[in-house]
Amino acid sequence: MKTKDKLIRLWAYGSMAAVLAIIAFLFLYVFARGYKTVSWEFLTKAPAGAVLGMEGGIFPAIMGSLAFTLTAVVIGGIPAVAAAVFVVFYCKSKVVGTVIKMIIECIAGIPSIVLGLFSYSLFVRDLQWGRCILSASMALGIMVLPFIEVRAEKAFRELPPSMIASSYALGCSRFYTVSRIVLPACRGELVSGIILGACYAMGATAPMIFTGAVAFAKVPTGLLQPAMALPLHLYLLIAQGATSLDTAFGTAFVMMALILISNILATLYARRRSSQWTRS
Amino acid sequence: MKKAFDRAFTVLIAALTAVSAAALAFVIFFIVKEALPLFETVSLKDFLLGQRWMPIAYTGSVSFGIANFIAGTLYVSFAAMVLALFFSLGCAVYLSCVATDRQRSLLYPVIDLLAGIPSVVYGFIGIVVLLKLMMKLGVRTGSCVLAAAIVLAIMLLPYLISGCSESMLKMKNRYMPASDAMGISQWHAMAEIVIPAAWKNILLTMVLAVGRAMGETMAVMMVMGNANLFPRLLGKGETIAAVIALEMGTAEYGSDHYHALYAASMVLMLLLFVINIAISLLRKRLLEKEV
Repeated sequence: MKTKDKLIRLWAYGSMAAVLAIIAFLFLYVFARGYKTVSWEFLTKAPAGAVLGMEGGIFPAIMGSLAFTLTAVVIGGIPAVAAAVFVVFYCKSKVVGTVIKMIIECIAGIPSIVLGLFSYSLFVRDLQWGRCILSASMALGIMVLPFIEVRAEKAFRELPPSMIASSYALGCSRFYTVSRIVLPACRGELVSGIILGACYAMGATAPMIFTGAVAFAKVPTGLLQPAMALPLHLYLLIAQGATSLDTAFGTAFVMMALILISNILATLYARRRSSQWTRS
Repeated sequence: MKKAFDRAFTVLIAALTAVSAAALAFVIFFIVKEALPLFETVSLKDFLLGQRWMPIAYTGSVSFGIANFIAGTLYVSFAAMVLALFFSLGCAVYLSCVATDRQRSLLYPVIDLLAGIPSVVYGFIGIVVLLKLMMKLGVRTGSCVLAAAIVLAIMLLPYLISGCSESMLKMKNRYMPASDAMGISQWHAMAEIVIPAAWKNILLTMVLAVGRAMGETMAVMMVMGNANLFPRLLGKGETIAAVIALEMGTAEYGSDHYHALYAASMVLMLLLFVINIAISLLRKRLLEKEV
């Protein structure tokens, strides 16, 4: 008996240490090998060199990624929050609620590459939008919709029911309740959910390979233009072989740093909001 | 005025929901619609069980068989899940029994960082670190199913850990006070009471993780070698998602190859639907008995 207890204890401590070591390794490795490449020049210049990307920077890729991400969050985020509000506060019929839930779960299960294929056929080919930010962002938007919806719905459902009931009892309309009580109370979770959704969209490569991201483009000025994107740029740098390893590490550094910063911001914001709310 | 505004908002919310639900349903419809023309030329049996994938007739005839890709997808997903499960359960035991509330609120966001790292970065680190290691161990070129499974396992960790520890924490809060009162050691109670009690929820989390693993494209594609072979642990393999990503750009619009890629997507989607349905059935059966 004693040995079994000890084994479990060893297993628990060992796995926790292993997982933390993996996380530390991933970030430190990329930071250690990438920091030499990252400079002001690297962040603000376009890629250059005999093999593209060997020299120069990644400025268009950063701006492109921002454009893809913002568009995707607008396309996916607004319907996601609306759907969550509808399911939790407006939907009276159980059947409709279940159907919406089922569709959202199914979409959450569709691999991102399949969404990319869908967007390629429908938007790039059939609707003739061509490869552009909008086509790729449609795929990304559909991808983040369930991601944000699930988080928003969870936040809404975790509100104390007494709060909602009191609001109705005081004669407040549903619109008033949602806009003045529910949304402010859940702002922390909503904002952090949207930030995490944005990170998810920014890191996704598969949906944008053939729908909008290209190997080289100038900084985009409109939604119907193709653009560069950080993850695809990284993929192409690796695909070129060993010549561009330094810039590859630099690009990975920038992406990891963005992820780290947004995650910390999202966590802190959600915590501050929830502590404010529970105090009052 | 106020009433009209309220009604307008209701309509707006309902309309947005309806549009997004309809759009999402349309995605599924569209994929099926594009997939079906393939089966006018290729039989379903040949498609699912055939091992030859020759989308273009360079030599001999074209042939579309995705058996190896299906096997590759399933193989790498299950291998990754098993690998990740070992560490996730350990972490979950730690998080639910050893960690204080303060530690937990610190550790969860740190573990969630793993979920935020883009899959290309995983693939990239997999290439520069793991594949070199594999080459030293004697795998030619380094890329193999095992490498892909390891990369994928790390990607699954955050989902498995949060799922397992959540259910273990629930069970611990339910049974620990009684077991403490009887003087049972904490670790013994963990092994004999909490883990068995949380097992059903852990099973659900595992199924969910396999589903997530099957859809992963880039990271797996970058380290798995992408050869149409039946997957072996140290051999190369290719997943359905990788086939789509690699060949999407070269398939002629409207050709059999193009429809075959859609059919492969449909198969992948069906696999995931089966998993989704299994989850909801499991949830119903397992959790109803519990209450």
